[in-house]
Amino acid sequence: MDRFSQVFNEVPLAEVHDLAARRAEEGWRYVQILAVNTEEGIDLVYSYMKDGLLENDTVAAVGADDAVPSITDLFLEAFVCENEIHDLYGVAIENIAIDFGGMFYQLAEKAPMTVVSPEQLAAREKAKKIAAAKAAKEAAAQKEQAAPAAPAAVAGPTEEEIQAKIAGLDPEKAAKVRAAMEAKAKKAAAAAVETAPAPSAALTEEEIQAKIAGLDPEKAAKVRAALESKAAKAAKTEGKGE
Amino acid sequence: MGKATVIPFGPQHPVLPEPLHLDLVVQDETVVDVLPQIGFVHRGLEKLVETRDYNQFIYIAERICGICATGHSIGYAETVESLMGVEVPKRAEYLRIIWHELSRVHSHLLWLGLAADAFGFESMFMHCWRLRERVLDLFEKTTGGRVILSVVKVGGVVRDIDATQMAEIISVLDGLKDDYTKIMNTLLTDTSVKNRTVGVGHISTEDARSLSMVGPFARASNLPYDVRSFGKGAYGDLADFQPIVATEGDCYARVKVRCLEVLQSIEIIKELAAKIPAGDIEVAVKGAPADGAQASNVLEQPRGECYYYARGNGSKNLERMRIRTPTSQNLAGMTVALKGCDLADVNMIILTIDPCISCTER
Repeated sequence: MDRFSQVFNEVPLAEVHDLAARRAEEGWRYVQILAVNTEEGIDLVYSYMKDGLLENDTVAAVGADDAVPSITDLFLEAFVCENEIHDLYGVAIENIAIDFGGMFYQLAEKAPMTVVSPEQLAAREKAKKIAAAKAAKEAAAQKEQAAPAAPAAVAGPTEEEIQAKIAGLDPEKAAKVRAAMEAKAKKAAAAAVETAPAPSAALTEEEIQAKIAGLDPEKAAKVRAALESKAAKAAKTEGKGE
Repeated sequence: MGKATVIPFGPQHPVLPEPLHLDLVVQDETVVDVLPQIGFVHRGLEKLVETRDYNQFIYIAERICGICATGHSIGYAETVESLMGVEVPKRAEYLRIIWHELSRVHSHLLWLGLAADAFGFESMFMHCWRLRERVLDLFEKTTGGRVILSVVKVGGVVRDIDATQMAEIISVLDGLKDDYTKIMNTLLTDTSVKNRTVGVGHISTEDARSLSMVGPFARASNLPYDVRSFGKGAYGDLADFQPIVATEGDCYARVKVRCLEVLQSIEIIKELAAKIPAGDIEVAVKGAPADGAQASNVLEQPRGECYYYARGNGSKNLERMRIRTPTSQNLAGMTVALKGCDLADVNMIILTIDPCISCTER
């Protein structure tokens, strides 16, 4: 059974010492302090452990002018990490119990861990580009969801292109294709008549008759009967109204 | 009391081949204050994480220290796996712990030899290092390396241990255990050893707790803190694991705890070898840690709890890799143990703490 777990908390700089005092009182073990160099400043992570729970309290973006309170009055053993962070990152830590004054490590360069290497710079730029691309993609997806655009009509081949293709086929196949196309056209016209709303006033009698003429005779008879019945009903209603 | 005098100890000293410097403030023959200093060979290895991708950095992580190499590669791999949400096959977890516990055996035998040599027990030094060679031979047979094994990768391990090799490991450890028990009993009952260690460099349980001490140094002061007892990975499948502790809190207790931990590690290896499941030894790890993702981890190294931290930046290179070593944590305890001791006991106290400056100067 794994009894180990970890947590990361955000903590303001002003509360670092109070939190350490509270943890000391509650019987937490001090584990370590680390620093991370970021573009906004230095992140400090204070780690404490109790009963297998490792809590990492993160102070984000400590600036060059910020004074960090030492916790060595509560946890003497933190003097190693605090001196290290001062020497490697240039963070000013106040009142370290054993303060080496910048001489803990014998370094050729001051605050070497704050030097951003070309590789790190490239990695950061790449991460920014990836994040920007992801954000743009998400924004586009949200926009699309908010106002769904009508699916763009797929431009089909023109009548001339179809006829040219059919001409290229062998005669038997061409005849079959033509028959299928005619049947399809008839079916589509019938569907249009069925699904279309009642012919609007804009449609003249001639146009209606032309459309009916395009249907197969049985369907055309049905449509004519329906139209006549509708016209009779309309005349009856008109008569009543008068 | 006489006038206070500052006596420098190290960074070059016969008792400790690594560069640790102590300013010992002495009155007469008594140490009244101590100021430790490291940093003479700081290597900036953590900075290299910016120029190596997360798969390459494991080879740097295990070169932090020649004694704790396997542990560092496991600790680093586990942290990156946690960062990327990778689940390692069970067999790989077992193999990692078997190699890690073998490393603990070799580390403690190395330390015991150095400690014996420091108090003039040279034949003991030779016997300890003779036994350690058997462990290094096992490393060579199973991984190809004797010190840097390069057997752990992010996502598992690169080599398996077959049934024949596993049987050989058990056979060698059984033989080693018999020989080692004789040496250990000789050491722990020897009058001159007791004269040098009993009651020397005492640390109370309360001090050990308040100074957040780790490893055998803390356990010798009756503080039962051992990361293995959290049951991470294959440790969770052990029938029973109890940290080895002693109540005396002196140099002798620290020697005793480490001596008994060798036997404990042998038993752990034997149990895991009997229980190891069949299956894959690695999973493919693709992609890169997310920008801003972070993970921390702890591992029980031979010298105690080691902390690992990683933060991703969306690329194959990590933004930050941090390793807080056990010796770094124990420096404050060391100063407390040294205060009030005789000048002649300084080397004994330092050796029984078993500092690893190489780890600390990562």
